[in-house]
This record gives sequence, C-alpha cells and structure tokens, in this order.
Amino acid sequence: MLIPHPLLGPRDAQEFTYLGDAALMQRPDPQAGEAAFADYVFQRDNPAGVHRELWYHEYGDRSWLVVTRDTTTHEILGAKLARNVKMGLPE
Amino acid sequence: MTDLTPMGALGTAGPAAARHGALTLTEDCAITLLSLALRDETSALADLPLPGPGAYARSGDLAAFWTGPGQWMVESRDAAAARAAIAALPGARMTEQSDGWVVIRICSEAGAPPLRALTEKLVNLPAETLAPGRATRCQLHHLNCLVTRPAETELCVMTLRSAALSLWHALEATARRLPAAAAT
Repeated sequence: MLIPHPLLGPRDAQEFTYLGDAALMQRPDPQAGEAAFADYVFQRDNPAGVHRELWYHEYGDRSWLVVTRDTTTHEILGAKLARNVKMGLPE
Repeated sequence: MTDLTPMGALGTAGPAAARHGALTLTEDCAITLLSLALRDETSALADLPLPGPGAYARSGDLAAFWTGPGQWMVESRDAAAARAAIAALPGARMTEQSDGWVVIRICSEAGAPPLRALTEKLVNLPAETLAPGRATRCQLHHLNCLVTRPAETELCVMTLRSAALSLWHALEATARRLPAAAAT
C-alpha cells in the first residue's frame, strides 16, 4: 500500500504508524463538560467506506498526515499534512 | 589516570572499512552532525541555501539535508564553524547529534550503477529518491536510517549508533552479494 505524501511523494505504508480517526484533531473545549470528553475519548465512527484517519510518518519526515482511505477496498484517496488541515491552510 | 582508548561505533580502533567489487564502505568518525530547527522563513545557513523536502545541499564545508518541515540536519568537518553559523541565525535551535549516529559512506569506483543496484536491494523507494543531491529518512533492514546522496559516486547511510553493527552487516552483506555485473 502506498501513501501519497504531500511533500515526499508516494511512500510505502510500512513507513507509517496508524493512529485512528482524524476526528481526534477536534478536541473539545476544556469547559465542554464530561459528556463531550466521553464522546471524544470513547466514541468512534466505524464506516464501511471512505474514512479520514491520522497516519504518522515515523520512518520519514515525522509528520502527521490526514489520509482519506476507503476501508472496504484499502484505496487511498488522498493525503494532506495534518498541520495544514488543522490550520486551514492549503495543501 | 586511567588510560582510555577511543574506538569507533563498530568497536574498531580506527574507522571500519571494507571493499566489495567497485564499492568501498568506510565508517566516517570525523563528521559533526547538528540538527537544526527554525520557526521562521529563514532560507539560508551562511552561504548554504537550506534544501527543500527530500533534498541535500552543500556549500564549502557545510552541508545540510531536509529532515522534516522546518528541520534540517547539518553536516560539517569543522564543528566550531558549523555551530557558529547556526548560532548566527535568529531563532535557530540546534542539537548536537554527532555521537548519536553511525555514519557509513559507500563510494563507487564504477560510477552510479553499483550504488543504484545496492539501493534497489536495500530500500523500498524509487531510485530517483536517492539520486545525487537527494536525501531521505527510510527503513532499511527494519532500521530507521537517514540516507543521503552527496555525489554521483557516493552514498551515505546513517543509523542510530547502538545499531551500528546491524547496519554494517546489512550493507556489507548486500554489497558482497551484488551480482558481479552490477558490482563493477
């Protein structure tokens, strides 16, 4: 499986470590209350289909990527630097 | 006072060396490595333009390669000059890395083909990723390595110093097993 790194081009998925749902980047406000944090920590969507997830380029430039992957076919539909996604910057 | 004898990362008194076909492997004990992190848009270190993603650049005694967004590894034979050059950059962070790594240089006497054959055996990357003037971090025999290609006939592989013997074994065994046609 190849992941199209936005800076380094296609790289083997073995170089990456998988973290999970990219929704983890939307951490609730500290004042949001227990229910919001319980949802943030424990609840995950588990879609059969297109999923946005966080991958860490451990054997590479150590950047976090938001990878869009189809969980039924393992097709990688795109990858962006998580930093740019979080800051609303272009790729 | 105790008489201490310095030795290289591979346990040899001097830099370890081996030769297989057109390839010569040499441990580089004299290089200074400094990691550099910058928060602003500084684009040059003294006379050296800081290279972009996947690139390696050299100017005089200073060389640098990109290791991540806003981060580089700086190489030099003159530790004091390299430190002074980095210290002169506003907002630069540097970390001494020299003793953390083992550096093995592989030189070819027959141009680029033997080095290309070697990298094709070792790393799961397109050969262009390690063309002259390129550098990358990658996995090699399950080791986390930094690989640079300073010149057409020179490839440099670095890994954690504690894994020096594993890297040496991987490189030497691969160089020894290259088909004679590729090794010359």
